[in-house]
Order: sequence, then structure tokens, then C-alpha cells
Amino acid sequence: MRRGDIELEHASRSFSVRADRGRTLKELVFRRGSDGPPPVRALHDVSLRVGRGETVGLIGRNGAGKSSTLKVLAGIIPLQEGRAEAGGRVVSLLELGAGFGRDFSGRENIELNGALHGLRREEVAERMDAIIAFSELGEFIDVPVRTYSSGMFVRLGFAIAAHLDADVLLIDEVLAVGDEAFQRKCLRRISEQIAGGTTLVLVSHDATAIERVCERVVVLEAGEVAYDGPTADGLLFYHRLMGTPEGAPLDVRRPAGAEREVLEIELADGVGRPGTVFRPGDAVRVTLVLAARAGAPPRWLVLEVRDAEGRRVFRTAADPALVVAGGTVRFEIPRLALLGGDYDLVAGFAAPEADPDHYDRVQRFAVLREDGGEGLVDLRGAWSVADRAEAAS
Amino acid sequence: MGYRYLFEQMVRRELRQKYKGSALGVVWYLVNPLVLMGAYTLMFGVILDAFPGISDYPLFLLVGIVVWAFFSGSLLAAAPSLLDQSALIRKVRFPREAIPASVVTVQFVTFLALLVLLTPVTLLIRGTLSAALLLLPVILVALYAFALGGALVVSVLHAYFRDVGPILAAALLPWFFITPIFYTPQDTPGVASHPFIGDLLTWANPVAPFIAATRDVLYSGVAPGMDTLVYVLAAGAIALVGGRLLFARMQSELAVVL
Repeated sequence: MRRGDIELEHASRSFSVRADRGRTLKELVFRRGSDGPPPVRALHDVSLRVGRGETVGLIGRNGAGKSSTLKVLAGIIPLQEGRAEAGGRVVSLLELGAGFGRDFSGRENIELNGALHGLRREEVAERMDAIIAFSELGEFIDVPVRTYSSGMFVRLGFAIAAHLDADVLLIDEVLAVGDEAFQRKCLRRISEQIAGGTTLVLVSHDATAIERVCERVVVLEAGEVAYDGPTADGLLFYHRLMGTPEGAPLDVRRPAGAEREVLEIELADGVGRPGTVFRPGDAVRVTLVLAARAGAPPRWLVLEVRDAEGRRVFRTAADPALVVAGGTVRFEIPRLALLGGDYDLVAGFAAPEADPDHYDRVQRFAVLREDGGEGLVDLRGAWSVADRAEAAS
Repeated sequence: MGYRYLFEQMVRRELRQKYKGSALGVVWYLVNPLVLMGAYTLMFGVILDAFPGISDYPLFLLVGIVVWAFFSGSLLAAAPSLLDQSALIRKVRFPREAIPASVVTVQFVTFLALLVLLTPVTLLIRGTLSAALLLLPVILVALYAFALGGALVVSVLHAYFRDVGPILAAALLPWFFITPIFYTPQDTPGVASHPFIGDLLTWANPVAPFIAATRDVLYSGVAPGMDTLVYVLAAGAIALVGGRLLFARMQSELAVVL
């Protein structure tokens, strides 16, 4: 295995759930073979290959298996099935200050932590000054860490991890703690290491951190890989996932297939506040997020409004020139000419003069019922008397 | 591997934690055996006068007591050691046997410090300075291996089954009494009519030969019998190998069960 390479092959791991994690002999004797709660699947058949120098952001809901993946890669938790390997020195930063002796000074903790990560005495000594400088702790480096603030903890913990010359760096959410300036410094340090060939796997809820550092995103959902690809698409995939409580929506496809795709339809009112309920006559702004592979043939972007029965109410197509390379396009509706009811906005790509063979996205919205006409379309007409005939007497 | 440095660091940390915040820290480890010695001398030497055949009874006692204190102290401290370091085990990958090993090593350092004080006093009073003393390091290494093996077993078992610690604590008290610490198996009433009791007390309890060997060298000034020496070395080797095997088997799930 090359230094810096990571490989997970059909990795599976589940945990038995128990309120009290420790077992007692009594339990062993009396509950042997009896039915406890079924084990929780943390990872299910996860396969992942990461090459040296790659930067991968690992995202997903709580309990989707992110931390388990890191711990498996770090060698802290063994797999039940499959294989996990990481080449070279693996440094995991799962918790800043894990293993700090609280009565020890910062300096002594650097020694202890370096030793925990397999460094020799000389190797720690070589790095000592750089670590202290990076931590910006100054004279406080010789004070017991129990007196440190959480910010100081972060500084020390990261400073150590950043100077261990990792081939594989596994970071779990820890950067979020520090102040902004130090976070930037950490990210800069990480980029330097990546430039030097370090592989990074970063777990974070902070999309901007992922966006800034990672070129690839893996979305985990219920212990399985739901998405694996470029960061921009991955973050969108993730946001969409989070918007739907049941998890993977039916119409979400892996981006592997299509050359062009509508990733997202967003509805907002005239001033840009997102929403899916409008009044007749409201201004509505439709934003479409598009993805295109390099060199994908030009296609028309088709946007349709359908009523609850699926009948087409309106169709429009954007010129291919507008949607060459993906990105975001907008369709502005100054006055929503629809009457009360439920509608679907659907969007997809189509060849010229044709309908899309499938629609990538569906967004439902509602229009409030108000006095006025009935039917689908508000023609905005008004009654008036044109000529009053004389009443027959 | 570069984990020798880790071991050093962990021992330092254990030492510090053990003695932190108490000015008399190290002294307590001297006081405890002395108090025990005083109590048993009073009880068996003075009040009951049970072993009139044993001369310098307090010294006889003390040698047994320090060996026992090292052994039992190692197991008692090792049992919860993995649990105490669970935060570390769940977050960092490193050889986990370093934890019980550093606990035992700290006990051993304390034990050696006691021996350094006890040895000259015993040699002086008993006049037992002899070539047999050269065997002491061998016996001590075997004892260290024996305690380490036991520590590996109880620490990893306790991580899985939290009764192991309490059971151990309960077992050590009767174990203390069947170990020839304040008596010799030969002096035990009933041995005359049932010699097998003496053999049982001498050989069935793996701690007994360690105490016998140490006592031979320090208190009696003679080399232990070959059988005792072989027993001691074998017990140390078997405990260490067996302990390491069990630990290696069970340690992989530690981050899950802790």
C-alpha cells in the first residue's frame, strides 16, 4: 500500500446498543443468547478509494457513519466485514486534546501526544519549537493544561497534529472550535501539507470549510455511500438530503449517468425569501442549479408548471447558450398568474424541439385560494359595465 | 517501533498522577508495608507468639509483604486502567498494552524503591550478604513479568466485564492469607499430619514461590532451590505470554466496549 493511500473495501460494522456499555458477568450469564435490541448498522458495505494527496470531505447526518468511518481508518475500531487500510503514518484528530494529561504542562503534553502517535524522542524534540510557535501559546506552554481555555486546548491540539508529518490526516469536526483567525491558519497549514502529499479526510458540518479544503465529497447516509464525487455537487446533494426528512428522495440519481442535470429548483418570493406558498399575483423567483459535464452537448433547459392532475399549465425552455456550463439560472415571474391549488414545477434538459426524456427535479408549491376566478389560470380580468341598457318597463 | 518513548511517557504520567498533590506521596508507599508489618508482628509475633521458630520476625514479614504489595497492587491498579483511559482509547490509535504495562511499571518502581531501603537493613541485621544476592535481579524480572501478565489479563477482562475488578478485590484478601507471608508452610499446624497441605501452600499458589525465592535471597542469605527458581521463571514466562495473547485477542474491540 502506498503511503497516503486509503482503501475501504466492502467495509461493514455494526454496534450493539445498550444504555450501559459495560457488561457484567450477570448479564453474560443470564442474558446470553436472549434478545437484546438489534445492533445498529454504522457502516454497510462501504467501498472507498482515496489516493495520496486527495482531499475528501465526509458529510452526512448525525449517525450516518462519518465518525465510524474515521475511526475505522484510524485503526481504532475494527471492521466486522471487509477491509480497511491506510498507508503510512495515520494521524487522527478526532478530539482535540484527547489524551492530554490535565496536570501536565503544554510542553509535556506535546511529548506525550507525539509519543502516542508513534514519534521518537528526537522527532518530538525536533518539532517542539515549531509546535509551540504554531500554537501561539507563548509562555503558557509551561503551565498545566487544566488552566487552559477551550480555545487554548484547540490551539495546542491542532498544533501537535499539524506537525506530526501525517501521510493520512483524519480530522473530525474539531476545527469548528477555534477562533476564525486560528481556523484560517489551520486550514492554511492543512493545505501546505496536502501540497506536500498528505491525504486528508475531513468530517465537518461546516460547508464552507469543506468547500475551501476538499476537492471531493462523500455523503454517507445510514452507513452507506450515497454520493461520491466533486465537492460542489456533493454539497448540493447533501443539502437536498437534509431537506427531506425520510432521507434519500426518490428522484435523486447518482450524478454518474447524466451529462447535464438540474440539481435543484428553489422557489422564492419577489425579494428572495425562500418559500413554497404564494398568493395569486405574487412575484415569484425560480432558481435552478445546473450541473454539466465538460463537453456535454448543448441542450434546452425545460421548465414546466403542472397542476395537481399532472396537466401542463405552462412550459418554457431556456436557450442552450444560457446554460452551457451549468451553474445557476433564474426564471423571474413578475405576477403569478395561477389560481388557488397545488402545482408542480418540473425541470429537465431536452434536445431541440423535444420534451425531456425525464425530468430531473420536481418542486411542489401551493397557491392560496382567494376570491376571484376558478380554474387554473388567473387571467387578471375585471368586470365592468360597458353599456347600461334601459330597463324594459 | 518507536513506542518505547510512548511507554516512557506513560510511566512518567502514571508516576506523576500517583503522587500528585501529596507531599508525602512516596512516603505512603513506605508507611503502608511498615504498618502492616507492625500489625502482624503484634498479632502473630507478640500476642499469639505463633511462630517462635522464626527469628527477626518483622523482617521475615516485611520481605513477604513488599512482594505481595507489589503483586496485589499491580493487579488492583491495572484492572480499571483501561477504563480510566477510555477517552484516549476511543480517540487515538496506539498500543493499548502500554496502559496496563505503565501501571505495573509504576508499581514496580515503587517496589524497587522499597527494596533499596529494605535490602541493606535486612542484610545488616541478618548478616545475609552472600553470592545468592546475585539471583535477586533474576527473581525480580520474573516477578515483574508475572505481575505484568496478570495485569494484562485483568485489565482487558475488566474492560469487558465490569465485575472483574470487584471480584479481584474480594479474591485478594483470602489469597493474602493462603500466601506464606506471615508464616512458612512448614510451620503450619496440621502439616505434620497432612504433609500435602504444605506442598499445596508452597506450589499451588503461584505467588508463594516468588515470596519464598525473595525471602531465601534476602532474609536467609541462601540461593533458592532449583525447583523454586525454575517455577518462578516459568510462572513469569507463562503469565506474560498468556497475558499478551489474551490481550491481543481482546483489545481490538476496546474502543467499542469502553
